[in-house]
Amino acid sequence: MDSWFCLLKNSDTMKKITALLFILPFFSLLSAQISSIIPTSKSIAGTSVSDKNDWTAFNNPAMLGYLEKPEIGIQFENRYLISELSTKSFQAGYSKNLVNAGVSFSYSGYSLYHEMLFGLILARNFADKFAMGVQFNYYTAFFAASNSYRGALLPQIGLSVKLTPSFSLGFNTFNPFQTNINTEYVVKRIPSVFSLGTEYFFSPELVWRTQIDKEVSSNYRFATGFEYQMIENLSVKLGAYGSDYLVPCLGFGFNSGSFLFDLNCELHPLLGLNTVAAIKYRFGTRK
Amino acid sequence: MVISSYKLRAQDAVSTTEQLIADIFEQYTAESEDAIDYDTFYEDLISLSENPVNLNRTTQDELDKMPFLSDDQIENILSYVYRFGPIQTIFELQLIDGLDMTDIRRMLPFVRVGEASETQKKIYGQDLLHYGKNELFFRLDNGLETKEGYCFLPEEDPKASDVNSGNYLGNQLYNSIKYRFHYKDRVQIGFTAEKDAGEQFWGTQHKGYDFYSASVQLNDFGKFKTIVLGDFRANFGLGLVLHPEFGMGKSSYVLNVTPRNSGLKKYSSTDEYNFFRGAGATVQLGKVEVSAFYSNKMIDGDTVNGIFSSIYKTGLHRAPSEIAKKHTVNQQIVGGDATLTVSNFQIGFTAVHTELDNTLQPDKSVYNYFYFSGKRQTTAGIHYRMRWQKLNLFGETALTDNGSMATINGFTFTPVSRVSLVALYRYYSPEYDTLYATAFSETSRINNETGLYLGAEVRPFRKWKFAAYADSYRFPWPKYGIDAPSLGSDYLLQADFAAQRNMTMYWRLKYEEKQANLSGSTATMPELVTNRKASLRYNLTYSFGNFSFKNAMEGNLFREAENDWTYGVIASQDVTYKFPKIPLQMDFRMQFFDALNYENRFYSYEKDVLYAFSIPMYYGQGSRYYLNVQYDLNAHFSFWFKIAQTVYADDREWLSSGNETIQGNRKTDVRLMVKWAF
Repeated sequence: MDSWFCLLKNSDTMKKITALLFILPFFSLLSAQISSIIPTSKSIAGTSVSDKNDWTAFNNPAMLGYLEKPEIGIQFENRYLISELSTKSFQAGYSKNLVNAGVSFSYSGYSLYHEMLFGLILARNFADKFAMGVQFNYYTAFFAASNSYRGALLPQIGLSVKLTPSFSLGFNTFNPFQTNINTEYVVKRIPSVFSLGTEYFFSPELVWRTQIDKEVSSNYRFATGFEYQMIENLSVKLGAYGSDYLVPCLGFGFNSGSFLFDLNCELHPLLGLNTVAAIKYRFGTRK
Repeated sequence: MVISSYKLRAQDAVSTTEQLIADIFEQYTAESEDAIDYDTFYEDLISLSENPVNLNRTTQDELDKMPFLSDDQIENILSYVYRFGPIQTIFELQLIDGLDMTDIRRMLPFVRVGEASETQKKIYGQDLLHYGKNELFFRLDNGLETKEGYCFLPEEDPKASDVNSGNYLGNQLYNSIKYRFHYKDRVQIGFTAEKDAGEQFWGTQHKGYDFYSASVQLNDFGKFKTIVLGDFRANFGLGLVLHPEFGMGKSSYVLNVTPRNSGLKKYSSTDEYNFFRGAGATVQLGKVEVSAFYSNKMIDGDTVNGIFSSIYKTGLHRAPSEIAKKHTVNQQIVGGDATLTVSNFQIGFTAVHTELDNTLQPDKSVYNYFYFSGKRQTTAGIHYRMRWQKLNLFGETALTDNGSMATINGFTFTPVSRVSLVALYRYYSPEYDTLYATAFSETSRINNETGLYLGAEVRPFRKWKFAAYADSYRFPWPKYGIDAPSLGSDYLLQADFAAQRNMTMYWRLKYEEKQANLSGSTATMPELVTNRKASLRYNLTYSFGNFSFKNAMEGNLFREAENDWTYGVIASQDVTYKFPKIPLQMDFRMQFFDALNYENRFYSYEKDVLYAFSIPMYYGQGSRYYLNVQYDLNAHFSFWFKIAQTVYADDREWLSSGNETIQGNRKTDVRLMVKWAF
């Protein structure tokens, strides 16, 4: 109780709590997902499930199967410019002939309430026809009421299939068994998400992706986007997704040697601007 | 060349005969909400794959065993062999009008190219011993969550006597044993024993299995075309008189509207009602084929003082109230059929007479006013089939002993090889209600219906096939849940695209309008409203090496009267892997469903252990996943194992109702099947 009392006396903390009390209900209503722990992907409008060129932590693990060189990356999502809602993530992937392996980590929240996700991924590309990946995740959340962490293990399964050289399908399911955390006071629901998407290359420079996400007890999320490689080092991305509102998205990708930079922005009509910035380093690709 | 050899099936989108059979069955039952007997369907086709049809010495009856072929396709195969002589290679199937690659791929496990002069050999006892095949199947099912029916209150609880007396007497295990012997397709012997979940295996009320069945079928023995002993089925004509088995209805096989597998045949399923018990034989007398049979068995009913209101068909004897209904009525049936076949014309007469030792007397209400009541019933009918040029005419007209009539007549027509058409008119009088009819109908009961069905199958381009039907029907008398005469219509459009040998897909659009009682109405006079339902399904099947995949998505919209539309969505991802070096196959599915309204419910086929076929119903919000494993230990032993779980995400705290209630939001089922071949 003392610690709570001290917190309440701190005016900055009070402001944060008050702000979050107002914003979180909106956020949970307006977002297709009931948790921000899954990092938004760098793919435009979050169309990562079929994006064979890019593997994002806790998105489709099959995409790790396409990795040809080891890589590491970090990502920061400044959700609606509220640092307490931000998500930071880290990922590292290693490529071998038999199977590719990776680890990932994500942190969302702030000191009073935060969630963390650890992942271990195994994925393989099967003769460049399709790739499959399985991810073992450990989710943990800090519950201020009991001043303790509670966690759960949950799997994630991904698939990517090249139906033709220019058209492919992607499927991903996060927490398919609907594992939740039961505490003495609350049941913390961990999102259980099914995603299905397509990727179509009009030309090697222009790709179009679509995706449907369904968090099992939330609204559908429909997303689509184009990515155009303007010049060798620069790509632009344009797309939108809709759940309760239509959200336009704009992004840029820039690569310089072994470094890849991505910056994506989306403008929610009610919640405002959301930005995702990512840096990735691919080993052995320096020119 | 697409048909390279049967061995190349592993590369096809559908890779095994078992999977192919399940795929065909799924297409049939996609529109059905009834529990349909898969055992018989599977066994017939697996038996056919073990004794494939010799295309150079075949008959319409034999080709009829492949239910995915239309009448016109069968005629075209027979006509091709007649006109051009024996088929030299299986590749020639591509030259036959009306057969596309999908049909040919489906046919491959069930046909062979043999000598035209092959004759049936005499059977000796030694042959049976040396070449006969024995198979023993052992199946075990269990639900991991305990249902209310198995929860007994302690005796000191004041509610104990009330609750406990209604509970199930047995344990939660389902178990069946099935023995099958066959020598080619000439001698078939079967034995089945089954205990449903909740039925007592050994105790005060029951000892041993709840259901036993045994059958013998002999084919082509002297003058007898078929002899059946023990449990059997008898299907004749278009099903208006005798067809206790699943018949053809509305499905994506739009041309196949008449039932197949005519005649007497052994029964080896676990359905505890739809069969006969006794003996029967079919004799070929010149151009006339004559069948006769006699059956005597006990059936279930809520009998009190020699009267019962309905036949209890589920075969479940778990709680005392269900056990009280068991075998309370004796049913004797005598029936037969005589069919004359002359060139392209066939006409037959079917009759059946039933005697019950107790009186069937339904609790009269408006909707069942004309249902059969009494102790005895006689039904007879005439069926015909005729081919003239590119026109196939068929029909059946039947009468019951109360003078009521049912008739069904139609034709198929193939003006050009790429276009096939079908039309079917049916009239089933409200007073016509016979006990063993299964014919083309909107509902499972063959009475009180009139309707016109039109269907077309078009192959405008290579790799594409379009199928469509429209069915308009009317119920001139009230039905259950519809308190006044009503009408409805169904429409289906399906496009099949075989993109590559390893990739097929289809889109199925369906729309239905049907009248029903206005829900919540308190008016004295019945108020009917029109309910509408539209659904769209996309199915994609593809394979690479030892992997095969399937994606299915379906959405539907439902509208009661002028209310708002409600929606439902279901989607699934299937992965199958066949290990290259060990005889192990694994099927895995992830599926989610979102259909809050019961009227938006879905039925979705899923793979299962051998001889089982699951089409669970989904409504609410949630997900389902399963793992199905098949392992062939050696040439003698094979194992199947399945674990499936459904998790609801719509905050429900219990599932199902009554004794079947499960506390919580999860339901887990486990199945094990062992096959011993010797």
